[in-house]
Amino acid sequence: MQSEQIGAPGEPLRQARVWSAAADAAARLRGSRIPGVGYLLALELVGFSIVDPSFSSIGNLVNIGVQSSTLILLALPMTLIVMSEGLDLSMGAVLGLAGVSLATRLAHGAPLASAAAAAVGVGGVFGVANGLLVVGAGMPPFIATLGTLGIAQGLAVATTGGRSVVGIGEALPALYASAWLGVPFSVLVAGLAYAAFHLVLYHTRFGAYVFALGGNREALRLAGVRADAYHVAVYAVGGLMAGAASLLLTGRMNAGHPIAAIGMEFDAIAAVVVGGTSFERGNGWLPGTLLGVLAIGVLKNGLNVLAVSSSLQSAGIGLLVILAMLIDRWRERP
Amino acid sequence: MTTGLTSAGADAPVLQIRRLSKSFPGVRALQDVSLDIRGGEVHVLLGQNGAGKSTLIKTLYGAYRPDGGHVLVDGRPARIESPADARALGMAVMFQEFSLVPFLDVAHNIFLGREPPGRLPGTIDRRRLHAEARRVLEGLGVDVDTHALVDRLGIAQRQLVEIAKALSQNARVLVMDEPTASLSEPEIERLFAIIRRLKADGVAVVYVSHRLHEIFAIGDRITVLRDGVGVADVRPADTTPGELVRMMVGREVNTVYRERFCERPGGVVLSIRGLATASGLRGIDLRISAGEIVGLAGLVGAGRTELARAIFGADRILAGELRLEGQPFHPSPPAAVAHGIGLIPEDRKGQGLALIQSVQDNLLLPGLPRLFPRRWYRPARAASLAGQLVDRLAIATPSPSRPVELLSGGNQQKVVVGKWLNAGSRLLIVDEPTRGIDVGAKAEMYRLLASLVDQGAAVLMISSELPEIVAVCDRVYVMRDKSIVGELRRAELTEERILGLAMHHHHQAGVEAPLPKGGQAGRAE
Repeated sequence: MQSEQIGAPGEPLRQARVWSAAADAAARLRGSRIPGVGYLLALELVGFSIVDPSFSSIGNLVNIGVQSSTLILLALPMTLIVMSEGLDLSMGAVLGLAGVSLATRLAHGAPLASAAAAAVGVGGVFGVANGLLVVGAGMPPFIATLGTLGIAQGLAVATTGGRSVVGIGEALPALYASAWLGVPFSVLVAGLAYAAFHLVLYHTRFGAYVFALGGNREALRLAGVRADAYHVAVYAVGGLMAGAASLLLTGRMNAGHPIAAIGMEFDAIAAVVVGGTSFERGNGWLPGTLLGVLAIGVLKNGLNVLAVSSSLQSAGIGLLVILAMLIDRWRERP
Repeated sequence: MTTGLTSAGADAPVLQIRRLSKSFPGVRALQDVSLDIRGGEVHVLLGQNGAGKSTLIKTLYGAYRPDGGHVLVDGRPARIESPADARALGMAVMFQEFSLVPFLDVAHNIFLGREPPGRLPGTIDRRRLHAEARRVLEGLGVDVDTHALVDRLGIAQRQLVEIAKALSQNARVLVMDEPTASLSEPEIERLFAIIRRLKADGVAVVYVSHRLHEIFAIGDRITVLRDGVGVADVRPADTTPGELVRMMVGREVNTVYRERFCERPGGVVLSIRGLATASGLRGIDLRISAGEIVGLAGLVGAGRTELARAIFGADRILAGELRLEGQPFHPSPPAAVAHGIGLIPEDRKGQGLALIQSVQDNLLLPGLPRLFPRRWYRPARAASLAGQLVDRLAIATPSPSRPVELLSGGNQQKVVVGKWLNAGSRLLIVDEPTRGIDVGAKAEMYRLLASLVDQGAAVLMISSELPEIVAVCDRVYVMRDKSIVGELRRAELTEERILGLAMHHHHQAGVEAPLPKGGQAGRAE
């Protein structure tokens, strides 16, 4: 049936063979599930190891895990929020406010457990507020969370006068510095959080409904599910996790800093999106988010090892995001 | 499978609908509709597109609030304010537009909202979920992997999943909205076998379709809806297909939309010879002259939309020659617009309109370079032009500044057509111009197209509605398998001849390719 004639006849055979091998490799790449950022991560690991052997020391690799742990705690719930065709710009600011609240309580001698509960509670309040604004009031997520970003950041700076809250006692730094079987506390927390989110997204009703919120909200409603309640819960989880992340950041810095986490939500969104989660149709993939976080963490760490300035580091992350998306675009082409 | 209630008496209706009414802005979708639905019966809802079938179902299921009327279940008044209420009363609905979640697997979709609980609170027993999904699918005789993402499934498989989802609810009242639209013959037969089994179990089946032969094969009772009104309640044995069609279309069947057909066409506007495209078109020969409405008929997938896209330059052309008023023409969207070719796509919301913009902005958009040649936008002139157009097109809107999305479907479609009037189009390509709009709006659309060609334009109309093609076109090309397989002049134009060409009946070669049915009902889809 097909009557297509291609190309000039008599091309050298060897050249054709090279081309067909390349085409095969390209086809395999396009067919696999691993998003482009996975290959970029591998490239980073190999590249940095070659350029600077100290990069691949066990100590530095553990360090990458420690440095990435806070971002993982934000990127996990951000995955669910993006899957519901939403966005949470307030995460970094809420983390800051929760951290300030945590540090202030600790500085006043409150027990760690109650201070931690208060920090997570602060996050939860903002998360629920985001959810109610988006779902209840029907505001675009971009606008609603931009508003709560301003509120959280303003409160954090106002209550501290913009200064770090120090003198937080020994309990939290000690916990942060602890390790189980050689695994640092923060890495352990990040690992447990990933496991919990994986379980929730792929093995619970809540997880199934997250896919449906973005994929076909009407179907969820017609199935008699209270879609709005689940939608609010997705944002609430985001706030709670920002509150939890303040424990790690405060422990690491030995102080509550009101603006240390500003902008971290953009790293989280970048990690989610390069990991293969789409803003449309509820197409999400949690392992991809982990890859995205690691790709960003490895890049920052590697550039640090190479003594690249931090402003150039953010340029590097921007480039990473664009490259990863270009690879994925190319693979999605029919 | 069902409660003992229904077997108590076949005559006691499970569901009594009393004077149900529902309006949308500009459309009375349902008006005092009453019907009784009994256990063990297949109750067919029959009507043209836009007759109110889907609205009735959604209202019954609690997805829409009725403006008036009420529903009795087992003789008692029922409050159905949400789909959850309807489910609790034992109703299940298989919706026409797919209610599936693309990135959940088949099993999760079938049991969405009814997942079997696992050991931990909130978790899903995935083993049981898949086992039960497989059981439902096997009962349907369908071989679909329950782990496959719905996004990866073809349209027929999705429809089968949709059916499985409705069946798995073991409902007392099962509503199926055009369940066979994407199914092949063996799949339809299996579905009918299942429906007969459900009937024997005492389930009340509400079956929405406009495929007449299916109705006679499976229906026990038929309610005909027209323009939101129940016009008849009959048994298949007491009626004929012809009578049903007359009831569906009412007096419209002989309405003349055009005062005169084109007897002496003007100059050839577009001629195509030997066109082949990357989208699969082969050997297309076609010509359209000024003053003509030329129809493009064929089944879904025959290549009609591809041809429109090729003329507009949206798909790569591999071979062939296009001439516009005698001059060679190399299609590309900007060239097409510059040469006065207008395209009115099938998906008007996605491609034809800026929904949140005003009627005025939408109407004037393609004509801007012509209306304001000096590049300055003059608000007063724009407003007066838009006002004139709104009057001329009889667009029902309180003001030209109203956002298009607040208009009814028929009025939106008028805006889509109207915007090309301004652009001074010589050739207008319309793809399914009356899909989803009510009968009155259809008639106005036909008159609008007729007035366009009377002013010297040419119209190429793609349509799956055969009555519309026969009523409106001067000449018709029929497509099949990406080629033009026949040309019918006005005098030769009947639905039967079009369908004969479009479907190409082999001489009894057994089961051939899955052919959609529905000729008698008037749709070649």
